[in-house]
Amino acid sequence: MRWLSRLGHKPLVEKRLDSELHFHLEQQIADYIASGLSPAEARRRANLEFGSVEGFKEECREARWENRLELLLHDIQFAFRGLRKNPRFTLVAILALALGIGASTAMFSVIYNALVAPFPYKDQGRLVTLRIRDLDQRGNGEDFRGLLSYSELRDYMEQNRVFDGLIANCEIDVVYDSGENNSYLAANFVTPGTFELFGVAPLLGRGLEPADYEPGAPPVFVLRYATWTNQFGSDPGVVGKSFSLNGVRRTLVGVMPLRFAWGGANLWMPRDPGVVNVMRGAFIPQYWGVVAHLKPGVSIQEAEAEINVIGTRIAPTYRADYPTHFHVVVESFVHAVVGQGFRRTLFVLFAAVGLLLLIGCANVASLLLARATTRGREFAVRAALGASRARLVRQLLLESILLALGGAIVGVLFAWAGILGLAAAMPPFTIPSETVIEMNGWVLLFEISLAIATVVIFGLFPALQASRVDVQDALRGAGKGLGGTIAKSRLRNAVIVVEVALSLILLFTAGLFMRSFVAIQNVPLGWQAEHVLAGRIPLPAQRYMTGPQIVSFFEPLIRTLKSTPGIEAASPVSATPPYGGFGGNIEIPGKTHTGEWESLIQLVGEDYFSVVRHPLIAGRSFTEAEVSTARKVVVINQTFQRRFLGDGDPLGRTIILDVLKKLPDAVADRSFQVIGVAADAMNVGLENPVEPELWIPYSVTGSGMRRLLVRTTGDPGSMNAAVRKAVWAVDPTVAFAEGQPLADWLNTFSYAQPRLGFFLVATFAAIGLLLVTLGVYSVIAYSTSRRTHEIGIRMALGAAPGDVLKMVLKHGLAVVVPGIAIGILVSFAVSRSVVSQLWGVSSYDPLSAVSVVLLLLAIGLLACWIPARRATRVSPVTALHYE
Amino acid sequence: MPTEKNDLHRGTLDMLILKILAAGPLHGYAIAQRLQQISKDYFQVPQGSLYPALHRLEEREWLDAEWKDTSTGREAKFYTLTSKGKKQLEAEVLGWERLSDAVSLILRTAD
Repeated sequence: MRWLSRLGHKPLVEKRLDSELHFHLEQQIADYIASGLSPAEARRRANLEFGSVEGFKEECREARWENRLELLLHDIQFAFRGLRKNPRFTLVAILALALGIGASTAMFSVIYNALVAPFPYKDQGRLVTLRIRDLDQRGNGEDFRGLLSYSELRDYMEQNRVFDGLIANCEIDVVYDSGENNSYLAANFVTPGTFELFGVAPLLGRGLEPADYEPGAPPVFVLRYATWTNQFGSDPGVVGKSFSLNGVRRTLVGVMPLRFAWGGANLWMPRDPGVVNVMRGAFIPQYWGVVAHLKPGVSIQEAEAEINVIGTRIAPTYRADYPTHFHVVVESFVHAVVGQGFRRTLFVLFAAVGLLLLIGCANVASLLLARATTRGREFAVRAALGASRARLVRQLLLESILLALGGAIVGVLFAWAGILGLAAAMPPFTIPSETVIEMNGWVLLFEISLAIATVVIFGLFPALQASRVDVQDALRGAGKGLGGTIAKSRLRNAVIVVEVALSLILLFTAGLFMRSFVAIQNVPLGWQAEHVLAGRIPLPAQRYMTGPQIVSFFEPLIRTLKSTPGIEAASPVSATPPYGGFGGNIEIPGKTHTGEWESLIQLVGEDYFSVVRHPLIAGRSFTEAEVSTARKVVVINQTFQRRFLGDGDPLGRTIILDVLKKLPDAVADRSFQVIGVAADAMNVGLENPVEPELWIPYSVTGSGMRRLLVRTTGDPGSMNAAVRKAVWAVDPTVAFAEGQPLADWLNTFSYAQPRLGFFLVATFAAIGLLLVTLGVYSVIAYSTSRRTHEIGIRMALGAAPGDVLKMVLKHGLAVVVPGIAIGILVSFAVSRSVVSQLWGVSSYDPLSAVSVVLLLLAIGLLACWIPARRATRVSPVTALHYE
Repeated sequence: MPTEKNDLHRGTLDMLILKILAAGPLHGYAIAQRLQQISKDYFQVPQGSLYPALHRLEEREWLDAEWKDTSTGREAKFYTLTSKGKKQLEAEVLGWERLSDAVSLILRTAD
């Protein structure tokens, strides 16, 4: 504890050190005088033999523990002062680091939360799903189906030895009747063990238990958090109450926490053991999605092998449900839920963020290198005044660490804001609804360490170099002539070249994303989504099985809607454009062909074409009478006409809709007469070419899903309530589900993802551009200021400002141009992997390339021009005195 | 910078200081005199470099220091060898003897 008492008596310690050394000197002088030297000579010789008193004092201080602590505090203060003295440098360095750290932490957090650990479920890494793949379809085979029938499900459940849990869910439409009105809820039937498998504790009440699945058990259900807040006002009192769901009174037994959203359902009900197949629409048995948990020690490959043995064994029992050659794919649940396309987009974004982090680090590195060179002289002076080399290095290191910490703190703020922004910008349905995007602590730690490493490495090398500087040389030569040593300026230039190249890659990628996004937005739909409200009509299967039954629902509904102010027209439809209904085989009498002839088939009402403003180019649409009496008439699109009918007048021709015999309520007469031809319009999403499509009256069959499109005069969203009321008035057991403006729907499904990609990459590119501007500027400004003396001489000798300007610009271009050249070459090399997931652009997109090169060149010139101008304005006299 | 030269002799200097103090407490100047005397001016180091070494040894608790009056009545800092310092000296002397034996053996038999 000696050091503690000494720490408190600092002046005493100093005084003692002082008197100890002086005692020595005085004794020596006294001894020399005693041996006969003159006092002056004695003093001279004693001082000479002793050496630098201040230097040894410093060493003595450093030998002491408590002084080491004090020196550290002193050095930290010193480092702070050093950074404050040069606020522009400090600000730019911190900003550069913070942008890199912030952006990459935010992006990594999104990737981690969306792709690696999106679910709150217990042991999610060991959860798998099953899909059946048809090996006869092109390439590696296409998915045949991802859902199983219930009896099939039982076979897999009972015969496997690789899973210790297998559960399934099945979607069911629920109409909740509150007594005053009704509303639609998307529900899931679940099988025993579901809540145990996921292991998520309920927020209120309980989950479903084994007894709930027993025959004759009282009907119960469990509610999702979002539904509980939206529909039941977060009232904890609703647990234990019963509600009318599809006409059955069910007791609410529990509410799940926010992150539990299994199957995307609003509520979960135990599978009804009395019902073999759940029906959704007439004759459409709902199949079940499967999630299984691998037994300990069982790999996915082993599970897949066993499941395929079972599949081969049971396939003959379900002949219609299995293709001739099939393979059952066992896939990680997490991978299956997050789409492949979106996963790739995220990885490209992550690469972009990595580039940004590199640019940020390169920028800080070049700043530090430049700064270290200017400070060579400062170090020389301090070394001459007795500072030890270790001390100088330590001070520089501390300064670097302070810088890195500053960058890290601001970076955390950026990351936090970025995560909020990203979470808000994330298009719905691209990531599971269970996903909560939050800051990832480990990543943040990694980024901060990386920042510190960069700063320390690039701060330390120049520091070591500077501390080895020969004092006399440095004092004489620093600050004049060439910009530092040649080796150092080469390193600095190389860093800038790399930075320019990296930012060009980023900008080029952003250009590709933008072009793709613009291309998708400019795809002519062929119809109009504006002023259309779209939604689904889940008709209860028991009472709506035939065409006439369905007409009995839609006819009065459409009559009511048409007489509602604000609504122009409405039509049932089987699929919401830009998707064209179900596909099926067709035949043309008198035409033979190899391979199958397929067309998309839409079931529509007489006003369909006017509701979406889909133009007809020949013939006419259906009449009201044709629809209500289910006449066999058809409207085809141009692609259909071109591909299957060939030349000649299509009107009046006959098409046989073979597919209709496969429907559960098989249509006996499948010959339809062409009455009209509609213009080609997008019908397989926006990114695929138009397929043959045909439209027939919705009354032809009782099968299939039914949706409703409503044309409004004003904002379609505002008519939602009116449509719901009209539906309720026709049949209180039917609800208008998922009603939203068609334009919004289109935005969500077709534009949101490319827009997000473009927005993010463009943001990164903009940040990168900013950093590169700062980098080029700081390096050119630095080397120009070092050459002020030289410029002064040149101007004194008669150089015109124009010559000086040219000289500085030439120096700047010498780093910018190679950077651009390298960048464009690398861009072309890597762009193919980016373009593979973009639509409508080539990997050598010349427009993007040219504009990016010009932009960087302009930025580079601007960054050089400012210091160049400043140099020409310096008067020769000042310049010559400049140090 | 002068420290580099000192670094070379740091271990040797430390050992010599410990050896000199084994005979009894001395102040810095006396140690310097003694050092010069026994080494017959062999070590050409600035005398001041003795002090960082003394402070270092004190910090390691091989030496103890005390301010006492000298024979001339002035106050000076006297260094004493601690028991820890004694052990260290023994260890270093042993090590040194081994090394010098080994080196002289090599020098004698190398050719």
